[in-house]
Amino acid sequence: MATVDLWAKEGYLSTPDGNSIYFWGFAAAADAPAQLPGPLLLARAGERVTVNLTNLLAVPVSLVFSGQGRIEAGGGPARPQYDPDGRLFSFTDVAAPDGGTMSYSFTPAFPGTFLYHSGANPPVQVPMGLYGALVVRPADYDPALPAYKTAYGFGTGTEFDREYLLVTGEIDPELHRATAAGTPYPIHRFKPRYWTLNGRCAPDTMLPDGVAHLPHQPRGAMIMAQPGERVLLRYAGAGVDSHPLHPHGNHTRIVGLDGRLLQNGTADLSYKRFTVLVNPGQTYDQIFQWSGLGFTPENPIPTVLPNIRNLAVGEAGWTMWSGSPYLGRKGDIPVGVVSYNEAGEYHFMLHSHEEVKITNWGEFPGGMMTMIAIFSSLDPGVGVLT
Amino acid sequence: MKRGSSPVARRSWTGLGSRDRLFVLYPKKPGGTYPDFWKVRKMALVQANLWAKQGTILLAGRPLAFWGFSADAGGAPTLPGPVLEATVGDTVEIVLQNPGFAQPVSLIFPGQEAVSVLEAGGGFRRVAPQYRDGAIVSLADYLEPEAESSLTYRFRAVKPGIYLYESGTEPEIQVQMGLYGILIVRPPGHDLPGHPNYQTAYGAGTGSEYDRERILVLGEIDSRLHEAVAQGAAYDILDFAPDRWLINGRSYPDTLAPAGDPGLPSQPRGAGLRVKTGWRVLLRIVNAGFQHHTLVLGGLTGRVVAGDGFSLVSPALDASYHKSALTLGSGQSYDVIVVPEAPGEYFLHAGEYHHLVNDDLFPGGMMTKMEVVP
Ligand SMILES: [Cu+2]
Repeated sequence: MATVDLWAKEGYLSTPDGNSIYFWGFAAAADAPAQLPGPLLLARAGERVTVNLTNLLAVPVSLVFSGQGRIEAGGGPARPQYDPDGRLFSFTDVAAPDGGTMSYSFTPAFPGTFLYHSGANPPVQVPMGLYGALVVRPADYDPALPAYKTAYGFGTGTEFDREYLLVTGEIDPELHRATAAGTPYPIHRFKPRYWTLNGRCAPDTMLPDGVAHLPHQPRGAMIMAQPGERVLLRYAGAGVDSHPLHPHGNHTRIVGLDGRLLQNGTADLSYKRFTVLVNPGQTYDQIFQWSGLGFTPENPIPTVLPNIRNLAVGEAGWTMWSGSPYLGRKGDIPVGVVSYNEAGEYHFMLHSHEEVKITNWGEFPGGMMTMIAIFSSLDPGVGVLT
Repeated sequence: MKRGSSPVARRSWTGLGSRDRLFVLYPKKPGGTYPDFWKVRKMALVQANLWAKQGTILLAGRPLAFWGFSADAGGAPTLPGPVLEATVGDTVEIVLQNPGFAQPVSLIFPGQEAVSVLEAGGGFRRVAPQYRDGAIVSLADYLEPEAESSLTYRFRAVKPGIYLYESGTEPEIQVQMGLYGILIVRPPGHDLPGHPNYQTAYGAGTGSEYDRERILVLGEIDSRLHEAVAQGAAYDILDFAPDRWLINGRSYPDTLAPAGDPGLPSQPRGAGLRVKTGWRVLLRIVNAGFQHHTLVLGGLTGRVVAGDGFSLVSPALDASYHKSALTLGSGQSYDVIVVPEAPGEYFLHAGEYHHLVNDDLFPGGMMTKMEVVP
């Protein structure tokens, strides 16, 4: 039985353009910073999960767990909450403001990727940051055995070598400012200016986990793997917009939606996609395998570089092979450039195809963008969800 | 909705004399079985009248002008328009009229092929886009404002499914104003106990058997558009900025009011559900708006058995899949079967949380409730 404690708290998000944004988030400990997204909840199918929520905010907060049945709260079935006038204010039992607690428990029946978020006044509380992801391991999960290191269980074709979680979200700074100031905000005019992967805007998405200057955004979004490895990408749409995410380099195979394996009996319903539209409240589990241009077992990384037209040239005397015009500029390699990729790895973008969303308040590059880096060799401890 | 109880679609089982080429016959047998059913039932003519009118809806208690269809000359227009029901093989005839409605208007039936229109001189021809001075003015044959004549559209119901019908004239304004409704085409035998297609959305073997059916039409409203258009004032559709979000023409909590609530004369369709555990609840979700809409199934997970009126299940492949939320583009539909296991209150709501408001306050907007009892 897994027991997790979450604290709903205030904090400040940092954006790469220098903005500091007041937000509400979940923290993993009383003295830990609120984070965006909230702490990753890791569970196992068939095993009871208990989440103890302590609410340090001045408004009631609750928890909703997508795709989970028979959720209990405070010892009985979770129930919608109405005020004395009969007006709904939360989809589930709440932790009262200023220190109230509520305990939620459920037994995940299905492995996969799920979301949790506040069910109290969700038009404000979810965009303010009270959301996170829940990953449920299959009952037979065993990372030591390749056949059992799967997303959906032995024999489901969902074996993976490394896995990454990308939680999408949006930030309308006006909502955050109005909430901090206690002033009215026209919710129907919700207009994001920042688009986030794991709570970060590019280029911060590419920084490692837990960098000191992003205390409220501890989760990086950089995808790292070796050629040919099976990379499990878990997309989770925690925001209110739909985001067409796509990786360069290779397509992905969707193996599960909303935490349900795409398989009926013996029929394999998984399918390949170039771009996956990540919709609100929904999750997409995919297998990505890089077998890209220029790579063969006989021509391992670093390979013979592709044609110069496929090279992106940066300002600082570096080059990246990306196949994309979005990184740096194209042209002759500047005088003085002597190396191709310091570590010899390949970089590919993974980004929202709505290009306005790969900006930070209109400034490219930014927003919902990260990189996939393919290394010739990579520590097996990279790409492990914790 | 209850089967066979559509209050608005007038079902005319004529034939047997009035139109010799169209007839319907259900021979009643002792024991209630219909073994040779599809040899017996040939075709029916389903007729409905739609009057385009201006009316008033209530959103969070405040009146708002809208345009809608009514099934009766004297009746109030409704949002969404009357539900038209037909059975595969039926010929569907819709008579459109707009006396007293100062707009040109037409009907299009997305998902139906080979729609015809009755010519003035008699006889049907294919419906066609209409041009004036080389510019398209309507996606289909239309009535002039306050026309004295009517326009009859006709098509054959070819495959089961749930579909929209809507105005094809100035659709960027008229559909937003409310000139849309639902067409359901049912498999033959859907209403005959003992028939393999009984209480299925797509027929036997499509995994679409249900105990309760609920249409959920999603949409949004820009109040300023409605006010401006109703007053004949200028409105630039590029300024479209909705402030109301609806299920079946109602915003929460009105979505929970019963069907035909006298306080909501132009919004007769409820969206609330009260079902028992273990029931197969068929949710027929249609997006009649311009925006994408996500319907979160309130913590429940359903099996998607059809998309855009196409069954996902065939003898060769069961391609149905599970979802706990679904996003629909404009004009799309999904049929989802939910089997609730645990009693409780489940809120079905927009995944776009900022659409869960009335006047910018939660709760409201695109939300309804499924109450599950033992
Ligand atoms: Cu791209």
